[in-house]
Amino acid sequence: MKNPAFIYHRPVGLDETLSLLADVGHDAKILAGGQSLLPTMALRLGPPEQLIDISRVPGLDGISVSATGEVTVGALVRHATVEHSADVGRYAPLVAETMPYIGHRAIRNRGTLVGSIAHADPAAELPAVCLALNATLRAVSTDGTRDIPAAEFFEGYLQTALKPNELLQQVTFPAWPSTSGGALVEVSRRHGDYALVGLACALDVRDGVVASASLAFFSVGSTAQRVSEAEAHLVGSEPSAELFARAAEVVSEALNPAPDVHGTTAYRKHLAGVLTERGLSQATAAIGVPA
Amino acid sequence: MSNTTQQSGLGFVGQSVKRVEDQRLLTGKGCYVADIEPEGVLHAVFVRSPLAHARVTSIDVDAARRAPGVAAVFTGADIVEATNPFPPFLMLPNLYTPLHWALSDKKVRMVGDPVALVLATSRYLAEDAAELVEVDYEPLDAVASISDALAADSEPLWEKADGNVVYDQTDTYGDVDAVFAAADRVITERFSCQRQANQPMETRGSVIEVDPDTGHLTVHNATQSSHMLRWIIAALADKQSTPSSLKSFVANKERRNAFVSAAKDFVSTNADSLQEQDNAGMISQVKADKSTLVHLQRIALGLLGRDNYPTVKAQDIGGGFGAKGSIAREDVALAAAAIKLGRSVKWIEDRVENLTDGGHAREETLEVAVAVDNDGTLRGMKVDLIVDQGAYPGFPVGAPFATRIMKVMFPGSYKFDAYGLRTRVVSTNKGKYVAYRGPWANETWARERMLDVVARALRMSPTDLRLKNMIGEADMPTKMITGPTLDETMSTKKTLERAIELVDLDAFATAKEEAAKAGRRLGIGFACYHEAAPGPPDYLTSVNPGTDALSAETARTTVQADGSVVVYTGQMPHGQSHETTYAQVVADELGVGIEDVELVWGNTDRTPFSVLGTGGSRGGPMGGGSVKYSSRKVRDLINHQAAEMLEASPSDIEIIDGNIHVAGVPARGLSFGEVAAAAAAGAAPTDAAFEATVDYGGHGDGGWSTATHVCFVDVDLSTGIVTIPRYLVVEDCGPVINPAIVDGQVRGGVAQGIGAVLYESSIYDSDANLQATTYMDYLIPTAAEIPDIEVHHIETLSPGENDFRGVGEGGMIGAPAAITNAVEDALSDLGARVTDQYLPPSRILELAGII
Amino acid sequence: MSTTNVGDSLGVVLTINGKRHMLEVEPRRSLSDVIREDVGLTGTHLGCEHGVCGACTVLVDGQPARSCLMLAVQADETEITTIEGLADGDELHPIQQAMHESHGFQCGFCTPGFLMSTVALLSENPQPNRSEIRAELSGNLCRCTGYQSIVDGVETAVSLLNEAQGNQP
Ligand SMILES: Cc1cc2nc3c(=O)[nH]c(=O)nc-3n(C[C@H](O)[C@H](O)[C@H](O)COP(=O)(O)OP(=O)(O)OC[C@H]3O[C@@H](n4cnc5c(N)ncnc54)[C@H](O)[C@@H]3O)c2cc1C
Ligand code: FES
Ligand code: FES
Repeated sequence: MKNPAFIYHRPVGLDETLSLLADVGHDAKILAGGQSLLPTMALRLGPPEQLIDISRVPGLDGISVSATGEVTVGALVRHATVEHSADVGRYAPLVAETMPYIGHRAIRNRGTLVGSIAHADPAAELPAVCLALNATLRAVSTDGTRDIPAAEFFEGYLQTALKPNELLQQVTFPAWPSTSGGALVEVSRRHGDYALVGLACALDVRDGVVASASLAFFSVGSTAQRVSEAEAHLVGSEPSAELFARAAEVVSEALNPAPDVHGTTAYRKHLAGVLTERGLSQATAAIGVPA
Repeated sequence: MSNTTQQSGLGFVGQSVKRVEDQRLLTGKGCYVADIEPEGVLHAVFVRSPLAHARVTSIDVDAARRAPGVAAVFTGADIVEATNPFPPFLMLPNLYTPLHWALSDKKVRMVGDPVALVLATSRYLAEDAAELVEVDYEPLDAVASISDALAADSEPLWEKADGNVVYDQTDTYGDVDAVFAAADRVITERFSCQRQANQPMETRGSVIEVDPDTGHLTVHNATQSSHMLRWIIAALADKQSTPSSLKSFVANKERRNAFVSAAKDFVSTNADSLQEQDNAGMISQVKADKSTLVHLQRIALGLLGRDNYPTVKAQDIGGGFGAKGSIAREDVALAAAAIKLGRSVKWIEDRVENLTDGGHAREETLEVAVAVDNDGTLRGMKVDLIVDQGAYPGFPVGAPFATRIMKVMFPGSYKFDAYGLRTRVVSTNKGKYVAYRGPWANETWARERMLDVVARALRMSPTDLRLKNMIGEADMPTKMITGPTLDETMSTKKTLERAIELVDLDAFATAKEEAAKAGRRLGIGFACYHEAAPGPPDYLTSVNPGTDALSAETARTTVQADGSVVVYTGQMPHGQSHETTYAQVVADELGVGIEDVELVWGNTDRTPFSVLGTGGSRGGPMGGGSVKYSSRKVRDLINHQAAEMLEASPSDIEIIDGNIHVAGVPARGLSFGEVAAAAAAGAAPTDAAFEATVDYGGHGDGGWSTATHVCFVDVDLSTGIVTIPRYLVVEDCGPVINPAIVDGQVRGGVAQGIGAVLYESSIYDSDANLQATTYMDYLIPTAAEIPDIEVHHIETLSPGENDFRGVGEGGMIGAPAAITNAVEDALSDLGARVTDQYLPPSRILELAGII
Repeated sequence: MSTTNVGDSLGVVLTINGKRHMLEVEPRRSLSDVIREDVGLTGTHLGCEHGVCGACTVLVDGQPARSCLMLAVQADETEITTIEGLADGDELHPIQQAMHESHGFQCGFCTPGFLMSTVALLSENPQPNRSEIRAELSGNLCRCTGYQSIVDGVETAVSLLNEAQGNQP
């Protein structure tokens, strides 16, 4: 189980990287933390011919918070850095809450948040978090810069809206109002595994009623997905166990996850419902409480 | 890291002496097969079939041969030409064992079936070249399950077999029909167990060195059975024509004489056991495949016609659990390649290969009918067992032999008036069946599960039903209905009684009710068994006449001329800490410290012959016994020599901490060096001063290990996740050599049992494609899933002089039954009936009626 | 900017257990293969080569990483600690000593990974409780022990390390 041969590029500047992508993007993959790319290489599952190692590109390793409270994470920021960032804990509590669920410490020390999003594994947590929070994904190429809303980014199993010549430069999570609460809940077979089903949810409650709700599930299909029927059901009502139970029914009804060796369709539908109730009550409890 | 603090003079046996192995294993200085890299070695990669069942219509290796770094590519046809097929090893009446070669040639029978072997200067280049091998396949219908295999129109894997059922045997004890007719009730249930994989953390691997002058092979291999591997490579890897073997044999007088004397020796030591063997097995085999005799003859003459058998070596082995006791087809192909090329070759299996072709086990269905009276008296049992052995038969022993143990052990520690078992073994297009830690364990699982079913039907408590029917000390000595003698060492009942004391069933019942109010389901499950460890002499005879010859172990204890103690064993430790436990035994016999004992294993040039190596929980009883008695003989020799030197009687000689002296006068003692030098005076410098070899097959008594496992489960009905708040084992393996090591063996086994029930499944789809080919899908439980496991010991001494009893397998034998019983108990008010061993969360919710 | 073609090698400087190694490696080679084969430190083991078993865990700049999931070229200019770097001559590292005292391991194959993960765990959380230990070590698989003895070993290591610190404040 050894990597196949590839042409290895190690650019040291963003422009270099973008012109490389412009030249060879069709045959190349970006190497960030390598925690998803390298296992697939070793298994020789359709490996790319060229790798572009972006580890020496300056300016991609920062976490910044805007004056309005938006949190931006650059392409080289590792999971572990996000996990331990006080800014993320304060301004993007749902992201902070998510990090410990991702694999194990050794994986988080190498893998990047942006890499996970670019990889678009339907079982991964972060794409769902991006959907739940309406994150903005910035793609750059020699053609310019595009800001892609999360809702338009995840196109299919390991498929995104990124073009072969584009680098995902950063992700920006919108400001988190004090009226909001979020939760990341999942069930996995073993500690640290990808989830059987998981949910990233956010609830904004104003004047005692749900002003907005987002429910983004992972491990339920070929991409992470939001269940707008259930969200619509929540908006305008007072948070309550009954409301959440009804939302759970709507979720179980709406989703149709494919079976795999770890769980049947019926099981995953059921689990999605259970997690809906669990997630929504945790999110309600978290309102106004920083992670 | 010395053990001096532990020298109490009271003896090391029985103490948790710290491991001798640790000094190297904790510092990264161990030496595993992957760590061996001879100069200029070629790295091997096998090209494997992507299809489960197909004819190979063509294979093109030209591009691969031309690829960078490639030294050679062998196809299936090349290997078939150069080698002998794997022959049947144990022939049983009504069994057909398909002959098969190290690589597949015209037909592939499983995903992962090796069809070509690529050798290149690096593993990377070999993998690159392997991708260039082009094979055309013509697909055949896949046989993906036991029911596929039983279907009349299933595509036969083996032309010479009659369909895909390769073994069909019925055994009865007592008048089964009469007993069933007379009993108050008959209760029937059908159980099924999923495919599991042994999965040692180190995969298989072989590094074969070729001596450029003599052609002698040195095979470094992660094997549980070095001598068996040596013989098999000698027998298969270099096919010689019958006439040329004969010529070479006849021409060499020395070899002829050696053979005749070895054969005489074997026949005289195994006379009884050979007499018990009949020819029915051979007749069944030859009836199916006449070529068997031709091949066997060619193999036998080939062995006689050669002087130069390979040397097999191993130092550290990263676990095996049975899988590395099976001879890998790959090893024979590699040896053939090394011989052809005259160059060293290296193959380290990768994890995908290991999950696919490194050994599977336990895929079995078991229909059990129990005849029982209304008062709970068990009368009779009937079992219909079907085992899926996958595509290739395990070598030397595979599924058929395991079923013979199941046959004997199925009635467990209980009294039955009659018992019958029908056994079928089927071929399917899946990975090969190998022995996995207690290969017969599903008899315990099905029986102990069934007892809970019976108890529920009779509204009895599972423990009462067990106690009522269990054979206890008052019944001893007696026999199992299947033949083996039971004495006090069959102490299952004591372990159950002790377990009941330890768990407080009343308190649990209250907790269960409380939890139910809060929506949680608690359950408790018991499982009881005894295992042959090694068992009495009539045990293996009951399993299969003649097999007792396999079980013995030989050890050689020496004191070298410089006074150092060197002990040789045929055992192949791979995690069981033999260096420590054998040092404890030897040190006690000789009166020396742990660090004074050097153990030599894993080198067939130096170690005594052992057929099985390490496996079958024989390391303690057989290996330990052989080491003990060879050391005792040496002690006697030392006593005599020292007595002469100290002018005393041998019976007055005492040895403490290596000081050999007349009892009471330690100040006038002699060192081992002094006594050895005196004894060795005049001998050749290579000879040991003292030496004794003992071939140990037990004392002829007892030899059972027993245990009761109790599992508590907490089932989350919203997610189907099962947690284990408490797990305890009460076990009796007689006198414990090293409690910490025994506890480790038990806990490791229980962890595999937990894996078997809650996490692990080598599942295939309906086209026989393996679905769990990586560690993302084959789930080995982690530290977060396995609870602390309480281990309680009872040390029943044997009525005779049985010494140590085995303990390696038991943990895994008891756990699946205890866990599945606990789950059914937890879900009992929901009407759940647990008939599968594998209970992933989705299955739990199905059983609970929630999805 | 550098580009390395198929079959070509790239210069890499690795400081392993305090010793600098200047190596020429093909970019596709994993850090684990380079540590084992080029540097000859075979104490780091390969159990799965796809990131799950943890046997290959080493410390890269003090942090645990799967050496099978890193290219050696990605480790250029880093400080790496392997199991061979734990003991001080014949003096075992307290974690090794603790594992010895607790009968932590059996076959020893998973051992390097567990030891390196434990070093990292205890440097971040010097007083973990049993369930924290179990959670943090869940990225390492052991097939032999059932883990209890390893968890015991970590607890023993905690007390040994505390003792050591008590002795030299
Ligand atoms: C054992 C194990 C367990 C894991 N468990 C989990 C888990 O529970 N949850 C989870 O979410 N993940 C898990 N992961 C995956 C981990 O989170 C990865 O780190 C992450 O998915 C990818 O990040 P990376 O930086 O390693 O990306 P890489 O592996 O380097 O790249 C992944 C893909 O994204 C592309 N890419 C990366 N960065 C960019 C960029 N800036 N622009 C464009 N394309 C880019 C690459 O070309 C590649 O196709 C696990 C991994 C392992 C090995
Ligand atoms: S070998 Fe690296 S994680 Fe298994
Ligand atoms: S000790 Fe063998 S795998 Fe852990």
